[in-house]
Amino acid sequence: MKLSDFLRDRIVSISAAAVGLALLLLFMYTYRVPSELLGAAVILFLITLTVAELWEFFRRRSFYDKLTSQLEQLDQKYLITEMLDEPQFLDGRIFKSVMEEVNKSMCDNVAEFRRTDADFREFIEMWVHEVKLPVASLQLMAHNHRDEFGEKAQDQLRRIDSYTDQVLYYVRSENAEKDYLITEVSLKKIFSNTAMRNREDLLMRGAELSAHDLGYSVMTDGKWLEYMLGQLIANSIKYAHEDRTLTIEVWAEKNGSETMLHFRDNGIGIPASDIHDVFRKSFTGENGRSRSKSTGMGLYIVKSLCQRLGHKVEVSSVQGEWTEFIFTFADNELMNVV
Amino acid sequence: MSKICIVEDDQAIRGELEALLRNSGYETESLTDFEHSLQLLSESAADLFLMDINIPYLNGEELLRKLRSTRETPVIMLTSRTSETDEVLAMSYGADDYITKPYNPTILLLRISAILKRASNAPAALSYRGLQVNPAKGSLSRNGDEIVLTKNEMIIFQLMLDNQGRIVTRDDLMTALWDNDEFVNDNALTVNISRLRAKLADFGCEDAIETRKKQGYILK
Repeated sequence: MKLSDFLRDRIVSISAAAVGLALLLLFMYTYRVPSELLGAAVILFLITLTVAELWEFFRRRSFYDKLTSQLEQLDQKYLITEMLDEPQFLDGRIFKSVMEEVNKSMCDNVAEFRRTDADFREFIEMWVHEVKLPVASLQLMAHNHRDEFGEKAQDQLRRIDSYTDQVLYYVRSENAEKDYLITEVSLKKIFSNTAMRNREDLLMRGAELSAHDLGYSVMTDGKWLEYMLGQLIANSIKYAHEDRTLTIEVWAEKNGSETMLHFRDNGIGIPASDIHDVFRKSFTGENGRSRSKSTGMGLYIVKSLCQRLGHKVEVSSVQGEWTEFIFTFADNELMNVV
Repeated sequence: MSKICIVEDDQAIRGELEALLRNSGYETESLTDFEHSLQLLSESAADLFLMDINIPYLNGEELLRKLRSTRETPVIMLTSRTSETDEVLAMSYGADDYITKPYNPTILLLRISAILKRASNAPAALSYRGLQVNPAKGSLSRNGDEIVLTKNEMIIFQLMLDNQGRIVTRDDLMTALWDNDEFVNDNALTVNISRLRAKLADFGCEDAIETRKKQGYILK
């Protein structure tokens, strides 16, 4: 709080005092009051006025400076009311009690939303698990009655299954709750599970898979990683180059205390102008617009899941040539101790 | 013939599992009275249990843990949960394997046959029309003559041998190959089958693998 700002704010009172003083002087002058007395009155008046204004200024400054500096340091700004001393002036006290009231009402509101959100999330999780039952029994039925219809039904069931998974992982990626389980998992096992889950789609596209040097273990949630790799495979299929056989190469390497998993395809690639945005929510870009089925959610979910698990995910690409994703897993020192 | 006991409370899935297993040459029995699940399972004559995690009264994990104190029969847990926790727990309670719903039926069958083979201890001397089959060495032999099969050919031959006389679809073969991290495509499978045919023909089994149009293959 600057003195000049304060004075500008007080301009009306100060001007009123000045006008009052001038009138008083004029009055005294017309009554021929001796000039020494006049001078003394002016000085006394100015001293009291200055002292009063300075006192006002300092008690306000001490309160507001503390307020602004604490606000700056606070991570959660709304906690500021808890940190304030009771102000020594009336409008400060009114202001503080209003702030407290507003804050409480906001907190109640947020809590209400958080509760509804948690309920909704719980419901979605439950629903996804419930819906897997009829999907499972339909898959068995389609398998037990293998004919043209059965095979078509299986294709559609796989689509339903992957859409329900997307809902589940979207809900999980948005939520702050810790619902993952980090264990030591083998990249080889994870990749072969993922490949198996996406086998029909890969075969239909005539894709060639090459997996090598996957003999590493990383600390992660296996299910989540399988889901993320599944998303990458789905993208490779969606954005395959029409003039050549889709080839997906997956390998891992150890780099000091980090393990890197590479996933590279020879698809249509990502335009340089889009590459920085591919992990953004709802971003579809040039490829997404030219091929209608993009929702812009897949890679966003991949990125959020990675952030929650503490992995890094990067992408590089040459348009028309290839796209490569790299996951980086940090070693866990505990793992070596145990 | 191995007997498999299905512990699953969803009636539709249970019925389809029974059909699936019977079509693949297993005997089945199903648990329906879940209130006395532990006692019924303890007395069951099954060689393998397929057990869902979400069942009434005792849940799958508890049931498995209690069952393990009395018998060592192999158990495959079926889980609809998508969280890793249940599977880790299931394994720690002594399940031999787990499969997540919705499961790939072919993989389920592969797991069952792998676990039954492991459980029966004495690896039944595999033979086909007087040929000695050595999966570990990856070879076929008769009277000192030996032919080496590639890994893919061995996987194909074993699956057909396990299902001798029944139709094995290309999808089944693909599943078995991919399950062994052999990510072959359609053309490669065709090539593998014709090489396998040629190798069998060298031993005088020319008509061993018969093609059923639009259905698959039968090992005769």
